[in-house]
Amino acid sequence: MNAIEVANAALEVVNGEAEAVAHVEHSGLARFAGSEVHQPTLIENAMVTLRVVQDTRVGVATTNKIDADGLAEVAERAHAAARSAPPDDGFPGLAPPMDPPKVEGFDEDTARLGPEEQAKLADAAIDAGGDVPVYGFFTSAMSDLAVASTTGLSVQQRMTDATALVVAADESGSGYAEQTAWRAGGIDPALVAEEAAEKARRTRGGGKIEPGVYRAVLEPYAFADLLDYFSHDSFGALGLLEERSYFAGRLDEKVFDEKISINDDALDPRGLPKSFDFEGTPKQRVELVEHGVARGVVWDRTTAAQSKNGAQSTGHAPPAELRDWGPLPSALSVSPGDVESVEELAQLVGDGLYITRLHYLGVVHPREGVITGMTRDGTFRIRDGKIAEPLVNLRFTVAVPDFLRDVLGLTSGAALVNSQNFYGERYPYGVLTPAIAAERFAVTGVGSKPGI
Amino acid sequence: MRDLCAAAVDAATGAGAEYADARVVAKRNQFVATKNGRVERLADSESEGIGVRVLVNGAWGFACDRRLSSEGAREAALRACTFARAAAGRHSSRQLAPVASASATHRTAVERDPFEVSLDEKVAECLAADEGMNGPDIVVRQAMVRAQREHKLLLTSEGTEVEQELIECGAGIECAAARDGVFQMRSYPSAHVGSSSQMGWEYVDGLDLSGEAPRVAEQAAALVRADVCPSGVMTVVLDGDQVALQVHESVGHPTELDRVYGSEASYAGTSFLKADDLGSMQYGSDLMNITADPTTVGGLGSFAFDDEGVLAERTAVVEGGLLTGFLTSRETAARIGAGNGGSMRADGWNRMPLVRMTNLHLEPGSGTLDDLLADVNDGVYMETNRSWSIDDKRLNFQFGTQIAWEIKAGKLGRMLRDATYTGITPKFWGTLDAVAGRDSWRLYGLTNCGKGQPGQSAHVSHGAAPARFRDVQVGVRS
Repeated sequence: MNAIEVANAALEVVNGEAEAVAHVEHSGLARFAGSEVHQPTLIENAMVTLRVVQDTRVGVATTNKIDADGLAEVAERAHAAARSAPPDDGFPGLAPPMDPPKVEGFDEDTARLGPEEQAKLADAAIDAGGDVPVYGFFTSAMSDLAVASTTGLSVQQRMTDATALVVAADESGSGYAEQTAWRAGGIDPALVAEEAAEKARRTRGGGKIEPGVYRAVLEPYAFADLLDYFSHDSFGALGLLEERSYFAGRLDEKVFDEKISINDDALDPRGLPKSFDFEGTPKQRVELVEHGVARGVVWDRTTAAQSKNGAQSTGHAPPAELRDWGPLPSALSVSPGDVESVEELAQLVGDGLYITRLHYLGVVHPREGVITGMTRDGTFRIRDGKIAEPLVNLRFTVAVPDFLRDVLGLTSGAALVNSQNFYGERYPYGVLTPAIAAERFAVTGVGSKPGI
Repeated sequence: MRDLCAAAVDAATGAGAEYADARVVAKRNQFVATKNGRVERLADSESEGIGVRVLVNGAWGFACDRRLSSEGAREAALRACTFARAAAGRHSSRQLAPVASASATHRTAVERDPFEVSLDEKVAECLAADEGMNGPDIVVRQAMVRAQREHKLLLTSEGTEVEQELIECGAGIECAAARDGVFQMRSYPSAHVGSSSQMGWEYVDGLDLSGEAPRVAEQAAALVRADVCPSGVMTVVLDGDQVALQVHESVGHPTELDRVYGSEASYAGTSFLKADDLGSMQYGSDLMNITADPTTVGGLGSFAFDDEGVLAERTAVVEGGLLTGFLTSRETAARIGAGNGGSMRADGWNRMPLVRMTNLHLEPGSGTLDDLLADVNDGVYMETNRSWSIDDKRLNFQFGTQIAWEIKAGKLGRMLRDATYTGITPKFWGTLDAVAGRDSWRLYGLTNCGKGQPGQSAHVSHGAAPARFRDVQVGVRS
């Protein structure tokens, strides 16, 4: 069965008001380490989440048993949950029928890729690593998402995605690269591996620097990660309502450099397009930051109902198991600048740091947007406007608003950076961003040398 | 379940696999969460399926299928073989440490099955605790309870057949206070979805969420008025919760032997340890004794057999500060030539088993928290993890706690907020100069340990007591 058939079958066994979210996954991930495929994983699954409403009592149950008995059981468990829930006057009701926007994001060739092709594409990356062993994966998938409800809502979207990710590393150096797209044909695993290996060769003999505040260039991989973490507290409505967000009390104020404009746009075909959210609400492009001014956050139906300003859902309800987080961006997009290349960004920096990738970020102060983490797989000094000698991995502790307050430049090209680590059900999303050069990047410690 | 596993293993060996194992797993979860007096989530989920792992021409393959039918089992086995065959050829052959075949059943001992506790009771528990956190400057109050049952059967081509039912539950409360642009959080018994245990509902009853709620709220409200923790090199005393996190990140992950060999280089990272550090690497002071124990009663990493069918055994990882063991699989054990594995677990039926921490404990020392404080002239006592970050080799870390107090002349003084500390793993553990005794030792169960591609989340417990570290860098901020 496809997703809408699963959702409709689930609705048929429910008494009363209900919503069914069905998710079907066919995926393959050929993971390799030391230039050998070591963890190849093929997944076939279909899940359905039923949300039933009895007056304003709401219960949720999920299953992957989608035969008649399984659906009857999940319906009974959802009803039991609803019976135990107290009335909720804040429940906004199920979404009404709406026509979602037509988006791209499905490619037949990608959907057809099987284990042989996935292994072959992983092999292409392994071959291209050359003298530097490679670690990473090639993955592709077809996901099918549907939301149907007793309000008459019925929406479905088939999606494909593919990612090639490579860490090239030996005893003395490491480099990183990745490509992600909804068309596997747009992915070149060999090129990804070559980029990672070339960078790894340049990181050998990394030196230390003193902690302090440096000018820095962040490649899209690094900037996407930083922004993604910042967004969890600051770009969602729940963070705003709970005063965790840096934007709390600052909407319509200038918070960043005027070169910074950020939106969340799941309709953009350059990303991993989505038509609707997990409540079936159509996706909207949301202006988060416009020329440095905080403009808004993303909403779902629940937070919109809690808003005192008449906010409406922007189509950002997460899946049921992540509902505690509130609505979250899933297609962040940073407007590019006018700088031709990262080398030109380095010229703007003059004296500073060049950072490829970040690792293990942690939010230190959500309200202040302070994030700590390490650099990894390609950290260099910039001297005299040129990318110079390699550095060891650096610990940073950065207030993101401070980092974005004085921006030296952004590249004119943007890259799509995969942000899903493929936990739980497959729902590909990423950040579309250029590389950035900024005035202040706070290094608070030094770590290990690059390399395996 | 057994017939399906047998069908899968037969299909795999028939298709040329020199080794195959099949796991049927059925998992059910209940989760109740309230926020500000309102039920935010009342969910009951289940997932079942079969995962088949094969070795073909020395190469691994893994495939899974949600269908618990002969067709689903056989198709998963054949697809796993196809994937393995596609990866073989230029592959070094994988060797597995030998293990005796086993036939056993195991079930978590519970006094009160958490799935027999009504949802009404679970909702009432959360709402009562939620209400108990009401107070000035409190902007968010949250309470949650959870329960999980995992029923699984493993059958291997070597004759092992193990059926296990693991039951766990957990709970936690958390509130946030905000005032004049300062935002602070306080949790109990741990942050990040409370704490869990492989026990019955008696574990949740024993936490007394409602009884602790007023203290949690009072501390959150006090934190928004507290001074910021000063920076400097000083003595730090950590509560058991933060010690557990320290053990997890800076001992547990680096001693996973798959990381040492680079299997996780593309995601979770590697390790500063090398295989030949075994028996020679001084990890910390002579007070540092770390054990891996999948037999710990109540531990989230407890089982009778791991997901490769290796019998659970308690092992020493660090003894008197010396590295004496790694966490291993059959494959990594064969490669290092020591042991036979025993740390392999998979996150459900649709993920391949990985080397995961079982229950990793810092063994207790002696005395009480007051005894630890008494020997500090000028330092900081920190409680309850708030933030954590560590590099890909598990060497450079920076952790923050929700709350801290200054220590002056052996006594706790003023409350402090935004406390962080940073260090380099072996150097930090080398400064350990006291661990409180058995009476202060607790199990802390966390459910958010991430690893693998595709991602897997593991549940693991750590036994820990308050501990004292000298000459620690405190207070790192931009």
